[in-house]
Amino acid sequence: MSLSRDSKYKLPEGVRTPSRFRNAIGKYRLHRSGECIGCGKCAAVCPYGVHVIRRGRVRVENAYRCVGPDCPHPCYEVCPVQALTLRPNPDFEGLGDFRWPPELLASTWHMAEFSHMPPKGLNYKTGNSDGGFDKLRLKFPVPAPGSPDAPKTDEDMDVGVELNRRGDHAHRVRIEVPFYGGGMSYGSVSITTMLSRIRAAAALGTFCCTGEGGYPDELKPYDDHVITQVATGLFGVREETIQRVKIVEFKYAQGAKPGLGGHLLGEKVTPGVARMREAVVGYPLFSPFPFHSVYSVEDHKKHVDWIKAINPEALVSVKVSTPTDVDMVAVGSYYAGAHIIHLDGSYGGTGAAPDIAKKNIAMPIEYAVPKVHGFLTEEGVRDQITVIASGGIRTPHDVAKIIALGADGVCTGTADLVALECIRCHNCESGRGCARGIATTDPELMGLMDLDWGTQRIINMFLAWRRELIRILRRLGMKTLKELVGRTDCLVHLDYLESR
Amino acid sequence: MKQYTHIDDIITSRAPLVQGLPKTVYPGVEAEGGCGVTGFACSIPVRGKHIFEPSRQMHNRGNGRGGGIAAMGFDPHMLGVSEAILEDDYILQIAALEEGVMDDLEARFIDPFLSVDFSERIPHVEDHRDIEGLEVRPPEVFRYFIRVKPEALQEFVSQNHLEGLSPRQAEDEFIYQNSFRINRTYYDATGSQKAFVLSHGRNFFILKIVGYAEQVVQYYKLDNFKAHIWIAHQRYPTKGRVWHPAGAHPFVGLNEALVHNGDFANYHAVAEYLRQKNLYPLFLTDTEVSALLFDLYSRTYGYPLECVIEALAPTMERDFDQLPEAKQGLYRAIQATHIHGSPDGPWFFIIARNDTQNRRLQLIGITDTAMLRPQVFALHEGQVQVGLICSEKQAIDATLKSLAAEDPRVGDVADRYWNARGGSHTDGGAFIFNLEESGAGPLERTLTCTDKFGREITGPADQIPYLPGRVYYLVDSEEKDRFDISEFFHLQRPDLLHDYVKAGIRAWDYADLMDCFKEIRGWASKGDAHFEVALSALTLLLDRRYPTYDKRRRSILQMLNHTLEVILRHFPSLSREDVKSTYRLVDWETRQFFRGPTHDEKVLIIDAALFPPEGDHCDSRLLAEAFHRGWRRFIVFGLKGQRFHGCGLGPDSGGVRIDIYGSSGDYLGSGMDGLSIHVHGDAQDQLGQIMKSGRMVVYGDVGQTFLYGAKGGEVYVMGNAAGRPLINAVGRPRVVINGTCLDYLGESFMAGDPYAGGGFVILNGIGFNDQGGVEPLPAPYPGSNLFSLASGGAVYVRDPHKTIDEQQLNGGEIVPMEERDWNLILPYLRENERLFEIRVETDLLQVNGEPRSPLTIYRKVRPGQAQAEEMEKDGLTEWTEG
Repeated sequence: MSLSRDSKYKLPEGVRTPSRFRNAIGKYRLHRSGECIGCGKCAAVCPYGVHVIRRGRVRVENAYRCVGPDCPHPCYEVCPVQALTLRPNPDFEGLGDFRWPPELLASTWHMAEFSHMPPKGLNYKTGNSDGGFDKLRLKFPVPAPGSPDAPKTDEDMDVGVELNRRGDHAHRVRIEVPFYGGGMSYGSVSITTMLSRIRAAAALGTFCCTGEGGYPDELKPYDDHVITQVATGLFGVREETIQRVKIVEFKYAQGAKPGLGGHLLGEKVTPGVARMREAVVGYPLFSPFPFHSVYSVEDHKKHVDWIKAINPEALVSVKVSTPTDVDMVAVGSYYAGAHIIHLDGSYGGTGAAPDIAKKNIAMPIEYAVPKVHGFLTEEGVRDQITVIASGGIRTPHDVAKIIALGADGVCTGTADLVALECIRCHNCESGRGCARGIATTDPELMGLMDLDWGTQRIINMFLAWRRELIRILRRLGMKTLKELVGRTDCLVHLDYLESR
Repeated sequence: MKQYTHIDDIITSRAPLVQGLPKTVYPGVEAEGGCGVTGFACSIPVRGKHIFEPSRQMHNRGNGRGGGIAAMGFDPHMLGVSEAILEDDYILQIAALEEGVMDDLEARFIDPFLSVDFSERIPHVEDHRDIEGLEVRPPEVFRYFIRVKPEALQEFVSQNHLEGLSPRQAEDEFIYQNSFRINRTYYDATGSQKAFVLSHGRNFFILKIVGYAEQVVQYYKLDNFKAHIWIAHQRYPTKGRVWHPAGAHPFVGLNEALVHNGDFANYHAVAEYLRQKNLYPLFLTDTEVSALLFDLYSRTYGYPLECVIEALAPTMERDFDQLPEAKQGLYRAIQATHIHGSPDGPWFFIIARNDTQNRRLQLIGITDTAMLRPQVFALHEGQVQVGLICSEKQAIDATLKSLAAEDPRVGDVADRYWNARGGSHTDGGAFIFNLEESGAGPLERTLTCTDKFGREITGPADQIPYLPGRVYYLVDSEEKDRFDISEFFHLQRPDLLHDYVKAGIRAWDYADLMDCFKEIRGWASKGDAHFEVALSALTLLLDRRYPTYDKRRRSILQMLNHTLEVILRHFPSLSREDVKSTYRLVDWETRQFFRGPTHDEKVLIIDAALFPPEGDHCDSRLLAEAFHRGWRRFIVFGLKGQRFHGCGLGPDSGGVRIDIYGSSGDYLGSGMDGLSIHVHGDAQDQLGQIMKSGRMVVYGDVGQTFLYGAKGGEVYVMGNAAGRPLINAVGRPRVVINGTCLDYLGESFMAGDPYAGGGFVILNGIGFNDQGGVEPLPAPYPGSNLFSLASGGAVYVRDPHKTIDEQQLNGGEIVPMEERDWNLILPYLRENERLFEIRVETDLLQVNGEPRSPLTIYRKVRPGQAQAEEMEKDGLTEWTEG
């Protein structure tokens, strides 16, 4: 089963890509009073380049990089005239939400800029949701066991995932990082966002899904890195789009709103979107909540067979939400011929999914994944199918946790948008759409973002993720990510610490 | 009032049975999806081998982890008992899973209470491994013909105060309770499993295994065993590595065997409801619950069948309002009492029932209110009558073919095929085939068919089917060359040949007709040009409707099919290097010789008969490959439900034409983009899904979710569409449906502005009578939902009597036809006329013989303007991370 790694694959370089806005948002504010004598000591001690000397004057130009009290050489302490005051940035506290608290946003922005983890001052591992991944911690042995035959360089550590484990006629596909981009449709995000994600995926040797809004021609050069989605509305799905790609994803449900269909507001159906989906400009578009042609597992098998009839070499991924019988759904998908079972938990979703659905319907992903993993193992088919988890994967630590719970890899969504400087304002669907030009189809707003900038930001973030994952593996004494799959013993849950 | 006490008494008497069982039903229900179900009832007993072929063809609806059959209505001699015993005794059939368990079981549950008139261990193949693919050894089965001992029954009655019941009712109840005790003692779904009761009703039995349904027939040697009714089920369970035969269908109440395709969303609610009636499922499937429900309503409550069906599949919405007032009162009462026990979600039941009270056997098909599962009914009238119910039409065809091969009185085409409209006022979503006693003994019964309301469905009256055994005399003047058809071939005029045969049917008898076809067959082998004439003419005869006078259409179709198959099989296969022909044949045996066309080869004929229905080796994959190798014209015949034809050709398939003969399968032309497909006969489910462009013509009906998510193309359907046609269609599909639809036509239709290139549907609401004449249907669209939530496109309905009302629309609006609407649709109706001979002037634009303006005959439904605004405000937006 095991395939040798593609020797042609080369990790892309991280390139520093600062914020596209003039005043990037940081955790702290540094105030420089009129007392400043321009001695330049602050600029000299600051490890992060917060202070800049220009024409004899010292200015705070990169306040967003200030790590505040965590700084080893605080500038406000070395200032001979006490001209500097450090204060928390009040704007910062208002950002995000419990799942994506401001520190997580800022640390993701840092990764997207520098392709490294933030140095200090920011919690980049967990959010404040008081549940889910935020209650789980990786348990590292002390001291780190180390493995004598572990690769010396990070480049040689194996964090890739084989996607076709059935050994059938379909493509042999391996992704070099344990994540790929989840579906975001053309119409819900701008073409620049879509292309940035797909180009980043191509550079990283992984994939990105189109969502259900069609397959724009701009994506053609990246066909080998595109997953096309066949969702309940069948928008933009044609034989041609199915034949073009290596992976076809069936979307039965979304973890953020299982049992609900999609509805794209009339305002978002611009001429471009309407052309892509072949609908009417200005009219709302509906996706039904079920596949009308699939009401049972044998219908599902027929559905998978259909895709294989159109593109015999395609890998079939089945994306489902996490109902209580998700284990049965998974094994049913396996017997229907799927290569990938994609479990979409309920933590995902940005502003558009209704809260009532997001918070009340599906099972949390950290319960669903071990259930499926265990059940497939019991059935003796776990090594024949790839388990991908998604829905609220925000950090490399989330990735490690869900893999330890039994997934093989993950799908990302919101994190990509955060790399593009989404501030989680939850207004994706209002008015002309995203004020930051990410989730919009408004031509003017779309102009807020440059394609190369977007691509590099996402590449940077994922390079940082990869580094962090490798660091985690080393601390666990593992050589490959595969070893981590299903290792729940590497996790602790904060609520059950005493009993252990 | 008295009757209520009996019901209460029965329910109370069951209380001890469920004592000690957990209050809520064990949560770990075995998941299974839909499955393959098939069943037929025949006026004479027929061999088990006839359930074999349809079961085998529905393999892809099961996964070999549960198969079962039920047989009902026997020849007493085949079971070794007298007619009286067969009639009066219960057939208790027990599956023993452990050696030696039967001694204990007999001592505890049979000997003390039951008098056994006859018993046997039923024969089976010595070693199950001799049957290919049968991995798990089926259970040993013991059969007892039993009555309850009078003293035991007496005690049972007095102990439970069941004096109000008739002795037979009391005995029925005793048998039920005794079997429940046996199951509780020897079978624990989550623990030890030693034995269980397969069935215990009168004049029928059930067998089930871990395997495929047809392996039941093989293993228990039922090939030659005869019964009036056979039903079979292919199961598709998805949980657990070890499956158990007890979980396979059919399930039994008392005198009924039930198979089920689908699954309930409310299993626990229904189980809870049954718990209140002291009924408790022991085998962890929703099918068992269904059988218990049916038995509760029919035997305990004593409801007539119509009310049982209403309790299971309630009539809703507009359909309810359309019922007569008295019926509304009755149904309202049933719904109020039993709605908690009504299964919710996709389901379809086939039930074999011994209606002992009315001394008849029944085969019943009931579909759920939302019509979420595929189902086809068929009726074959003649000397031998057959009623059939299946998940797919190809299973019906397979059954008839198998029957016809053995008994020439059965044809391989049925007189009528139809779908049921679940929970409707039109047919109630259920059909019943009754086998009444004809007075000629148990081997000769009369079959009748009714819908839920008792309205009868009959075959064409006054038309005689072809009987091969009958002697047709050649009149003296008739000579060998009595068919003067040579000029049609010389002139290359298939249309004239078609007219000639059509005109001849009136005077000819079947023998003449056959000779004529034979003559045509002879000409067809005289070179490609002649073949083309023959093929076109025969195809026209197959496709069109015309008067058949005293002859049955099904018999003529049977002859045509046969003639066509012979002609098509005659072509040189690709394995032969020595011949030249424009037409080349490929079949399963010669597929290895498959290659691209040489310069003079134009048409690839695919004999699909032995190809698997899907997967890497199916014939549709071969067809796609052939397309990529350069073939452009295809004729596919001999189909047995093979799927996916016309899929995988991609967007450069303009100019390609595929002609489909035989029982085509699901997903035909799904994804087609440019090519044209002609289906000579009925098409199946998921036809033309996501179709982008091209042309499809169906000379028959189409199944569920026709053109789901279509983007364009032109489609003509001669007959009806089942449920959910054109859901979520966008772009510019233009469709003519000459019949009607079950429901949900054009839901979320988003096909732009018809005047500016957008899409639309023309629904003519017409049918054909038995002489091929066009007749308007009682209502062009009886469904409760038309064009719901649509945001673009239009539906044009031929509705001269204004039967479509606001209540059917959810967001759409009816607007007057304008001249430009008529100009828009007329070209499509003209093409429709050319294809199907449905004349615009005389068939469509006349009402009761009077010509009328199209603007008063057609009505237009378009998205409501108010609706569009309302939808804008709705809070649900498509989310992205998805």
